[in-house]
Amino acid sequence: MAPETLAIKGLGQFERFKAANAFRRLIESWHVSDFHISAARGRKEATGESEHLSQTGENLPLVARFLFEAHPKTFQTILDKMAHRVPGIASVEPKLMDDGYLALRFQDGSFKTPFLDRYVSDGTIKMFAYLVLLHDPRPHPLLCVEEPENQLYPKLMAELAEEFRLYALRGGQVLVSTHSPDFLNAVALDEVCWLVKKDGATEIRRARDDEQIKTYMADGDQMGFLWKQGFFTGADPE
Amino acid sequence: MRELVFLLEEASAKAMLQSLLPRFLDARIQQRLIAFEGKQDLERQMVRRIKGYANPSARFIVLRDQDSTPDCRIVKNRLLGLCAQANRQATYLVRVACHELESFYLADLSAVEISMGLTGLARRQRSARFRSSDQIEKPGLELARLTNGK
Repeated sequence: MAPETLAIKGLGQFERFKAANAFRRLIESWHVSDFHISAARGRKEATGESEHLSQTGENLPLVARFLFEAHPKTFQTILDKMAHRVPGIASVEPKLMDDGYLALRFQDGSFKTPFLDRYVSDGTIKMFAYLVLLHDPRPHPLLCVEEPENQLYPKLMAELAEEFRLYALRGGQVLVSTHSPDFLNAVALDEVCWLVKKDGATEIRRARDDEQIKTYMADGDQMGFLWKQGFFTGADPE
Repeated sequence: MRELVFLLEEASAKAMLQSLLPRFLDARIQQRLIAFEGKQDLERQMVRRIKGYANPSARFIVLRDQDSTPDCRIVKNRLLGLCAQANRQATYLVRVACHELESFYLADLSAVEISMGLTGLARRQRSARFRSSDQIEKPGLELARLTNGK
């Protein structure tokens, strides 16, 4: 065993150390999501992890097919949401090809033949990947998401924030890092912390502990505005 | 704690005050510069900012450009009306200081000359056109012309 291996890794393997075992399983199912859109689109090998989306999202077609076959209701919800959120898209339809690959066909209101997923924009694929991630029938106990705002339409941030919240309500804890005022505008006071670099170390501040932010929020403010106007003390670049 | 809060229509005003204020504001007075995203944003949010400001001894200055409005008094009265809605009596001032922020820079051409590494600008301050810089209606364009778009 390598010298840097933590005791929890060893102890956690033994059935009789129940707490260590549970703790190890908890940590091992933490999940970090940092999508790479080019990896997520197009045709893939038909093998690999297919029940959970991977960190980079490259197994998106496999997970989509798994949902399509094993959880058709969830899959239909995802497709309906896509149709709402991508401008100009009337419907999204899955089509299982002969070689087992699940192609998504986007029906644009003004075209007769639908587009295949490899021709739609990065933002569209990313939205689909988030919906697949967040409708996971077995949520991760801790889901970390890196700057979900990239490539997405700013107005969709409110829906996305709501989606993260629903995931948390289903049992997973969600940690999102963001630089999006629109995302911040859509979340609640209790949900926000910010990081401050101080003497080479990073401090975490809770928004609800800040009297000024709390007062403004009680009067119906939004934290995206407060952040941009400099009320998140220490967060701004000098 | 004594505190002076500036409500500004954009980040460029904040940048100017950040370098200007330390030169004449008493260091014991804390300052906060709130930059909004344009005048509509300023007018939409200023009441709430003043009303909910946590420090009870804070004083507020609302600074706005006149831009192309023909009468700056109308602008000022409207902003004063908004301040009054915040229910913090006698804690605010409204100043429609100039046509555009650039008016300030046109009033100190020697500073512009030094900071931009130009020559011959300071001399022109005495010409009729630049003697009273706030009479220039499009100071932004004028400044760009003087500095060749720098």
